Amino acid sequence: MKGFEPKIIGFLCNWCSYEGADAAGRARKAYPANLRVLRVMCSGRVDPQFILEAFKEGADGVMILGCHPGDCHYKEGNLQTLKRYYVLKRVLSTLGIEEDRLRLDWISAGEGDKFVQVVSEMTERMRQLGPLPR
Amino acid sequence: MAERIGVYVCECGPNIKDAMDLDEVVTFVQGLENVVLTKAFGLLCAQEGQELIGKDIKEHDLTRVVIAACSPKEHEKTFRQCLEKAGLNPFLLQIANIREQCAWVVKDKSLATDKAKAIIHAAVRRVAYHEPLEVKEIACQPHALVVGAGMAGISAALTLAQKNRKVYLVEKLPCIGGKVACYEDVFPSLECASCILDPILDEVLHNEHIEILTLTEVQEVLGFYGNFLVKVTKKARFVDTETCIGCGACLETCPVTVKNEYNEGLDERKAIYIPYAGALPNVAAIDKKHCLRWQGEACSACREACPFGSITYEDTDQVRQLRVGAIVLATGFDLFDPARAPQYGYGKVEDVYTSLEFERLVNSTGPTQGKIVLRNGQVPEKIALVHCVGSRSGKFHEYCSTVCCMYLLKFAHQVTRQLSGVSILGFYSDLCLPGKEAQGFFNKISQEGNIQWLHMKEPDSIEITQADGKTLIRFTDVHGSPREVTSDMVVLAPAMEGARDAGAMAQIFDISQGAGEGFFAEENSQIAPVSTAIEGIFIAGCAQGPKDIQSSVAQGQAAAGRILSRLVPGEKLALEPVTAEVDEDLCCGCKLCVGLCSYKAITCDNLKNNVAINKVLCRGCGTCAAACPSGAIKAHHFTDTEVSEEIRGLLRQG
Repeated sequence: MKGFEPKIIGFLCNWCSYEGADAAGRARKAYPANLRVLRVMCSGRVDPQFILEAFKEGADGVMILGCHPGDCHYKEGNLQTLKRYYVLKRVLSTLGIEEDRLRLDWISAGEGDKFVQVVSEMTERMRQLGPLPR
Repeated sequence: MAERIGVYVCECGPNIKDAMDLDEVVTFVQGLENVVLTKAFGLLCAQEGQELIGKDIKEHDLTRVVIAACSPKEHEKTFRQCLEKAGLNPFLLQIANIREQCAWVVKDKSLATDKAKAIIHAAVRRVAYHEPLEVKEIACQPHALVVGAGMAGISAALTLAQKNRKVYLVEKLPCIGGKVACYEDVFPSLECASCILDPILDEVLHNEHIEILTLTEVQEVLGFYGNFLVKVTKKARFVDTETCIGCGACLETCPVTVKNEYNEGLDERKAIYIPYAGALPNVAAIDKKHCLRWQGEACSACREACPFGSITYEDTDQVRQLRVGAIVLATGFDLFDPARAPQYGYGKVEDVYTSLEFERLVNSTGPTQGKIVLRNGQVPEKIALVHCVGSRSGKFHEYCSTVCCMYLLKFAHQVTRQLSGVSILGFYSDLCLPGKEAQGFFNKISQEGNIQWLHMKEPDSIEITQADGKTLIRFTDVHGSPREVTSDMVVLAPAMEGARDAGAMAQIFDISQGAGEGFFAEENSQIAPVSTAIEGIFIAGCAQGPKDIQSSVAQGQAAAGRILSRLVPGEKLALEPVTAEVDEDLCCGCKLCVGLCSYKAITCDNLKNNVAINKVLCRGCGTCAAACPSGAIKAHHFTDTEVSEEIRGLLRQG
């Protein structure tokens, strides 16, 4: 797998995680260029179809990043995402897609460093897994 | 007709320009579908940049605009205004964030160029499907309902009352003023409570824009921000508030005597009563539960005694429908019941009092006319003040009620002022003295009286019992040693809890209860402390959490301010345009979305078997759209198509 660079789609909520990603930028913290960000108002908007579509369109990994539980701008949208996430992981494994290719995490607006760490870990893990066979 | 997209790539000085190959980016963008114009510019957010975009929109008939620049958090609003000025709907814009999330974080120039291309590609594909969104306006009621006539509620009502705006001030008790009306003095100024309260109450009573509804409770709330319909029941008072002057002639002849709850049960009142001397409005009320007429007897002693013919036995409870645009809940607090913690001896040891009981005891209109005496009438020589009862321990409440240290110091002052030579024992494990006045207050009070501070190991390392006619206090001191002292009187500072009926209120108003015991949950404890998850319903004062008078007043005024800024008489209410909408033809009526909505914005029409989303209540999170199994819910500005196009744009090359 040497030389393989995965493509990763990240669904980031507008209020916490997207702000966290911006914070990493403002602090000029470098992280792998593999991540492509898609902003949604709430992680609750992430329809499982979007994730399947991302895999179909060429993503090797997908991340959903939302507000920490209890901090959701819309009260509980992130908790709906959490529920869907566990179901979706099971669906993915029946499709032969490794569970690690989908990751859910919580990033607050102040957690630029955590954002960089999560993106770096995800990229490294996707490098290990190699391209998603299609 | 194909869209005509203009793409502007901001150099952001050297910030973006030096991080990537902009020429390559521009060449790539020029080749994208629907793109008719691509320009790189030094600083788009500058006046010249904005003018350029406006000019181009008109000259090149652009129908969509993509700005590849900094984060949308920085300038999305700026560029939306720019489109609007040029006659284009502001939502036909997409920002491609190639600064915070590309130029500043990708150090390799070639990788940054590729990433920027993908980000702009996604924006171009997405923006082609953007729909113009209108900021809709609805007519609204400028009137407001305030529930609870304590400090917070009164402050809100007075701030709200103005020409063309009526305020309904609903209070379940027969009098207004809340808990503060029962206090003699307030901390830290030690001003007399009625001196600060009475002029305010007078203002409320005579304000032509405020209608006070005493003995009134809310039954039901329908509708939404701008248009609430509130059903209230006003219980019969059986005394005409217009003609009664509060002379008290009726009280003397009434044959029924019951415990006076307005003096915390420390004395008695009649079945017709005025809660306490000075209660406002100064009008009697008949307590139906105890009055003989409702026990089947033919008593009319009060009617015979009344010189003004004010007694109206024929009164009935009245249901009223109030139309208001916004609501402030200021339902206050109740104290933790110290009988739940037997170690404090409350209810068993004779001279153990709660703080509210002591407030009445020391009050000149209270059961002893303000004389601090024991139940046997003797003057105490030793008084113990016990902090943190039911607070700050795992057993009952974890939180600190924030005001107890201060009012216990006030009690120390009141005791010292009245009883020279009295000794005061302060049982505490920590003192809470924050802010600009508290420490100074502590220093002042500590010096003026004979106070002995007894530092306990834990907030609840204490046991109060009666032994040989004495009140015995055993406690573990901060060093872990067991100690014991006696005292004549004990005053407990029980934790503040949300009002006893806060749970029922939360259900009626459809809001949540949050941290602490019974308090209403704020929308955000840091930046939205007086709003709730339900738009248009605000909370203020101790209903939101323990606080002192000045904070309660501040919250009441803050809640009023939030309402004043949006519910302007004669003006319409602007609605958030990024909301969700249901396609009735596609909705199968499964109602999955109904339970997911945090704002109760989705209702089901059982006849048509489909749901509808209330645009006033919807905040546009899109959680419902993600869950809809039939794809019937459209999350505006984040539609399935828009997101899909963005995904493709991010992943496909060109």
